[in-house]
Amino acid sequence: MDFLNQTFLLLRKDLLLEMRRRESLLTMFFFGTLLLFVFHFSFDLAPDRMVEMAPALLWLAFLFTGTLGLAQLFEAERGNHCLEALLLSPMDRGALFLAKTCFNLILMVLVEIVVIPLFWILFNLRSWDVIPNLFLVTLLGTVGFCVLGTLLSAVTLKARARELLLPLVLFPLMIPVILGTIRCMEAILRAGELGDALPWLRLLVGFDVIFLTVGVLIFDWVIEV
Amino acid sequence: MRLTVRHLAKAYGLLWALKDLSFDLPAGEVVALLGPNGSGKTTLLKLLAGLISPTAGEIVLDGSSFSRSATVQRSAVGFLAPGDHLYEDLTVRENLVFFTSLYQKNRAFAQIEGALEEVGLKHRSEEYVAALSSGMKCRLSIAKWKLLEPGLLLLDEPYGVLDGSGIDLLESFLRAQRHKGSIVILASHHVARVLTLCTRAVILHQGRLTFNEARQQPWDSFTRAFGEFLPHGESWTS
Repeated sequence: MDFLNQTFLLLRKDLLLEMRRRESLLTMFFFGTLLLFVFHFSFDLAPDRMVEMAPALLWLAFLFTGTLGLAQLFEAERGNHCLEALLLSPMDRGALFLAKTCFNLILMVLVEIVVIPLFWILFNLRSWDVIPNLFLVTLLGTVGFCVLGTLLSAVTLKARARELLLPLVLFPLMIPVILGTIRCMEAILRAGELGDALPWLRLLVGFDVIFLTVGVLIFDWVIEV
Repeated sequence: MRLTVRHLAKAYGLLWALKDLSFDLPAGEVVALLGPNGSGKTTLLKLLAGLISPTAGEIVLDGSSFSRSATVQRSAVGFLAPGDHLYEDLTVRENLVFFTSLYQKNRAFAQIEGALEEVGLKHRSEEYVAALSSGMKCRLSIAKWKLLEPGLLLLDEPYGVLDGSGIDLLESFLRAQRHKGSIVILASHHVARVLTLCTRAVILHQGRLTFNEARQQPWDSFTRAFGEFLPHGESWTS
């Protein structure tokens, strides 16, 4: 219970700071939207090819947008040595990992709620009925991205060229999530259901569960002042 | 509260910041931690705070080994770094509420107001910390640790940003902590000031403990040990 209370306390603090600063969410939202417009003007795709391209383009937008959010994830703690203050306290450090993951997930989901429908409009996709299923798959992929991203963001916290290093470390490790999400999205766009992409969905769930558990358990050794 | 340090050492890469440090402090001890720049004072404070792990040796708090992972023991350790450890975009009151909740020492509104009044910040309780001066941030840190009541309080150069009344406030807080049985370790270059408070002085030089003695009057051994670290032509007598 203490663990969840601590997680909630840290998450509430991060959301309050974000509401006041409005740095991460606005940056991510505008960058995500900008990418969609760039894709829209760059690709002139036939409707039948959109099924193949849409998931990849969407995930490219989420990856780049999410990386921006990850770069800002510990900014509040970097100022005034607040990370020291948190690590000095008797909180479970796994709670800090979970709170940061949830915070990042909330930001990403808020961006996705705007970006996915906008993508549908810009690329003139007509199958609006698949969006709820598509959003569920995207959510699983986003959880994987946030879990691994938060962990690696903490690992690279003290690195000099952190903003450059983070995507270099993160993207290769994200390949199972990217592939899994894209395959699931393709299947949904083609047939309206997962069909033979079900193993990819299992992979996504497995990835999320494993890295979330590992993150909570090892964060104490990962985070350093 | 009893603090025992056994053969403590810390290396950053190939550089040894602290080597083979051992001492034992009973409850109510106020320690002046002295030494020239780079002698290892801040490293020692961070080790005692559990912020970094020792390369060798052991820290024992009340009979139990203390490490970065010791969640329960961490609630007994406070680290007052002036102007630091406060969220700039939270208000003065929000900072106190957040940290007291994090330490599971939820304080009533009146207690938080009382602590703010004692440090002269009650009228600024709704302002963001970013709007405070360095001295006021230090006062807020004092209020924070008053509410959290640590058994071991570590201070790193607390005098630099405080005005006269701020220094009085800090010193009366430290005396109160001592009377409650807390151990206070105070790292500073303001030797004359910390010696009025301390019950013991510890001198570090190049990562080694070169002096560790309870306060005496007169204190010739301290004068001899510390003399070499004073500015050229300056002298200090107890």
